[in-house]
Amino acid sequence: MRDPNAIDFWRGFALITIFINHIPGNTFERYTFSQYGISDAAELFVFLAGWSIGIATRGRDGMPEPPGKSVVRLLARTVEVYRAQITVMLLALALIAGAALLLDNPLILEWHNAGNFFADPIQSVCGMALLTYQLGYFNILPLYVLLIGIAPLFVLVGRFSLLAALALSGSVYLASLLFEWNLPSWPGEGDWFFDPLCWQVLLVLGFVLQGWNLRSGFLRRWTRRLFPAGIAIVLLGIVLSVMEIRPDPMVVPEPRLLFTFEKTYLTPARLLHFLGVLLAFAPLYALLAPRIGRIVGYLSQLGRNSLAVFSMGSILSLIGQLVRFQTGGGLLIDMLVAGSGLFGLGFTAWFVEWRTRSRSSKSRA
Amino acid sequence: MRARAWLVLAAPLLAVLAQPAAAEQAADPGASEPGLSQECRVPGAQLYTAAKLGAVRAALAEGRPLKILAIGGSAAPGASASYPAKLEAALEHALPKVDVVIDHRGLPGEVASGAAERLRTMVVEAEPELVVWQVGTHDAIARVDAEAFESALSEAVAWIRSHGIDVVLVDPIYTASMAADVDYNRIVDAVRTVAIQQQVPLVRRYEALHYLSSRSDRGEGHMLGRQFRLNDLGLRCMAEHVALTIATSLTRTETPEEPKAGPATQPLTGPQRAPG
Repeated sequence: MRDPNAIDFWRGFALITIFINHIPGNTFERYTFSQYGISDAAELFVFLAGWSIGIATRGRDGMPEPPGKSVVRLLARTVEVYRAQITVMLLALALIAGAALLLDNPLILEWHNAGNFFADPIQSVCGMALLTYQLGYFNILPLYVLLIGIAPLFVLVGRFSLLAALALSGSVYLASLLFEWNLPSWPGEGDWFFDPLCWQVLLVLGFVLQGWNLRSGFLRRWTRRLFPAGIAIVLLGIVLSVMEIRPDPMVVPEPRLLFTFEKTYLTPARLLHFLGVLLAFAPLYALLAPRIGRIVGYLSQLGRNSLAVFSMGSILSLIGQLVRFQTGGGLLIDMLVAGSGLFGLGFTAWFVEWRTRSRSSKSRA
Repeated sequence: MRARAWLVLAAPLLAVLAQPAAAEQAADPGASEPGLSQECRVPGAQLYTAAKLGAVRAALAEGRPLKILAIGGSAAPGASASYPAKLEAALEHALPKVDVVIDHRGLPGEVASGAAERLRTMVVEAEPELVVWQVGTHDAIARVDAEAFESALSEAVAWIRSHGIDVVLVDPIYTASMAADVDYNRIVDAVRTVAIQQQVPLVRRYEALHYLSSRSDRGEGHMLGRQFRLNDLGLRCMAEHVALTIATSLTRTETPEEPKAGPATQPLTGPQRAPG
């Protein structure tokens, strides 16, 4: 297993934040950074996924691996994420249905849009396989499947020019904002909660910045110089979110998606805020790592096993919601839910690494 | 001229309702709304509170299609038609010659944290005359503080109405295991409070299902038990109940002088108390 590093650490941090934020109403929600800015942990997670693609498609010496190998690698990852999404969806639906039966409470069936599934399983099960039927709070993995699925295109273009890859991605992003392109939900009307055509820009940005960061000191120099700008953006984000100031989508000029704060379309304000967060917090890891070794170790372990931890986190947060609902919540319950969740995520990461170790030692024997 | 045109439109509507003043005779608990199918019959007082629908009326007066954004609500399991299809049919039955166009969206998440923002996007995208918003379930399940929910809902409804769009609220369901739950009842009350304060019609799904649950134990069984049968019935009846609330509210909205109606100022009827 690789040693703790900044990427895995921040990934682990994003995973914990997403877990806490997916138990709405719980006491600890208000202590997550998502409450104090325009962008949140979803941006961090997708950006780091792009950065990791940059690492994974290069050898230890930083030279890109053969293109065919990268394509197959990303294809294998897409299959893995898809499998995780289907498993998580099935378990979530079973948890909702099981809780409704056990508590004799049909109200629970309406939760997170699950009502559509139980009312119309024939169409919904097709939609589930197609990723167009998504439950509330279970919509990051479908985005992730699609992003990893189209990543080979950008990786291949990036072999010729990282700038070209970013330009291609940026044009798709801008066009989607201007023309409000999104993928449809089905069954039912509406669109994806995370518009893949917009969110891909963050994945590609992560991938491209990783490449530039490796190649020259130019990027590193400028991230240091722009540090004050990052701090200013973070402070502005805190003021705007605490005072609940945001543009009225009905009043902004056309094309309106250039001006609003909508998460679905990763609008420019969110993107800019995220870049500010990046600039402001990038130096933090080097300061933290020697001081809080244990926490760094824990978060890095989560980050190394992000898919398993994310999937388990979705399930655990749903169970946490059910527990809060049935018990009525309160600080004690919230501490119990969050505490056992954090332990469960740590155990998941440990278990995955243990299984990998025991498998590889067996194959060696 | 316009008023006369409205009368022509309203005549079949009144015929369908047959008893347009039923809600005013709220004191009579036995008076079921005859516009409803047998299994969905609930006295008007326990079914809705009416208020003006200025934007809807303006669209009808100009002969424009009636665009409705329906938030939440699913079909009953095994139902032949989905909730939006049923609502469209029920409304076109109640308002002949009116083209009803329904955009149906799910809105997972809590109104008190995030979902209200997402709703704004939906409203901007759909540009409806009317938003039919089934609200409260997610916040109730997430144990959101009722006051936080109420202020977020109130703000969202006020925002929609400030842009000249009508709102009909639909409160959460009644089910036996939640009947004594204090927090749950606070959420249901909060929806009612907001409807009164913001002067928008309210479909009282909780009261209606409570009435239906007490009325009869007969009818087909349900393999999952009585609460699930009641829930299915509630889902089957929701479109009819919403349509009746809209139709009744419309009979109490005078035709606007100007083509584009601003937010309605006063409800013609106050909230009605449920008998018993």
